[in-house]
Amino acid sequence: MAGRLDGKVAVILGASNPQSMGAATARRFAAEGAHLILAARRAEAVAEVAAALGASAQACDIVQEDQLAALARTAIDRHGRLDIAVNYAGVESGGPLLETTADTFRQASEVHFVGTALFIKQMALAMGQGGSIITASSLTALVQSPGLSAYAASKAGADTLVRIAANELGERNIRVNSIAPGFTESAMTAGWFAMDAVKRAFLKEIPLGRFSTVEDIANAALWLASDEAFITGQVIDITAGQSLRRTPRAEEFV
Amino acid sequence: MARLAGKRALIVGAAGRDNMGQAIARRFLAEGAQVAVAGRRRDALDAFVAEAGGIAVDCDFTHKASIDAMVADTAQHLGGIDIAVNATGWGLLKPFLDTTPEELDAMVALQLRGPFHFLQALIPVMGGQGGGSIIQISSATSTIMFHDHDAYMATKAGTDHLVRSVANQFGERGIRINSISPGVTETPMTAEAAAVPGVMDAFVKGYPLGRYGTPQDVAAACVWLASDECFMTGENLQVNGGLTLRGNPTKADIEASVAAAVARQG
Repeated sequence: MAGRLDGKVAVILGASNPQSMGAATARRFAAEGAHLILAARRAEAVAEVAAALGASAQACDIVQEDQLAALARTAIDRHGRLDIAVNYAGVESGGPLLETTADTFRQASEVHFVGTALFIKQMALAMGQGGSIITASSLTALVQSPGLSAYAASKAGADTLVRIAANELGERNIRVNSIAPGFTESAMTAGWFAMDAVKRAFLKEIPLGRFSTVEDIANAALWLASDEAFITGQVIDITAGQSLRRTPRAEEFV
Repeated sequence: MARLAGKRALIVGAAGRDNMGQAIARRFLAEGAQVAVAGRRRDALDAFVAEAGGIAVDCDFTHKASIDAMVADTAQHLGGIDIAVNATGWGLLKPFLDTTPEELDAMVALQLRGPFHFLQALIPVMGGQGGGSIIQISSATSTIMFHDHDAYMATKAGTDHLVRSVANQFGERGIRINSISPGVTETPMTAEAAAVPGVMDAFVKGYPLGRYGTPQDVAAACVWLASDECFMTGENLQVNGGLTLRGNPTKADIEASVAAAVARQG
């Protein structure tokens, strides 16, 4: 059976937790015939996820440009090409603006904005002529959420970066898009999902009536990664329609 | 593996030879769906069905009664409707100040009232069977500018917002509704203009990916939106190779490009 990514080589950054979007994407891509290099800061954890899929693993911190370059080089050295690069690296940061420190703003910007910029740059350099770069945005970049200024604004900044990168890299036939997941049960949100009041408040704001799963996000990544998506510079909204409504405020978590 | 196996699809606006509707129908058939094609010209639909498969259903998309009958007939013949695509359109080019009330009425009837009644007819059918996916073919010009295209652009943009509104209301019944916005695409609607040397040279500069779209690009996006893998609703997918990042050529750009092509040909 022909896979939808047969012969493609993909790098996925942010795949150290089996419950993560990165790991779900890796499972989906592997099932569709892609060769994978999985990466994360935690080398041992990502190696475990990779081993289960017959993929290779590499330590990589998105804020270190030399490590991103090395990650892309691994794809070229091992498989002779790089077709797909997916970035899920993220850092949680919350709290009212008036209480958010400069360090928190800097850390969110460093990972989500500077990191994404360097990721796109290094992956595109390795791709040469043709490829698909996908980076994780957020529901919170689409509907402005009180208490998430550092997180949401740094994600939204990266979305503008995606548009400019797409405009520039189109000439190399490299497509650049982001995926904005809704409130998704994953490694990063497990703490929130443990609270029924949070789940109730969010569910009221989701037209399709259920939370998005890491598999939903992986399916969207698969479409963007395949040769079937004549689309670039876009934020692909996998919020199940929540961007039509709103993000609940903390005082509604009762 | 067929990605739409077991699905029942209705595609309206599929009477034009090799138009977007027919490209979508061919792809859906290849992905294992049962397909009904609808439009005004029954002979053209019958010819398509004889060659490609599926069934043909009559529809004048400017009349509510005809839309209702099309949806009812399709649901009866296929046993339900899981996927519905509106690929009708009228690419009128007319300066804003010269657009007549009759032209505006005709445009509203096809591109705003038609989709409105289409959604009204589909919601009870899909809601009653536990859900479905509705796809509205919009246009990049619902977001970006193009000259002499006001009636077309305004009705496409209005329908995009209708898509959001109806998606918001009926998601809980399992119905997903999205738009696709192609840019200039090689179809019968654009064939005449595209045949003029220099015209498409002017357009292609607006495409970061270095080419304009094909009906097959749109059909591929329809498969994604129609499949159970797509957890998306109320969105407008910009399937136009990045055109919205740059924009369409102005009328002056096109005229200059045509003049340059004429000069090249000597």
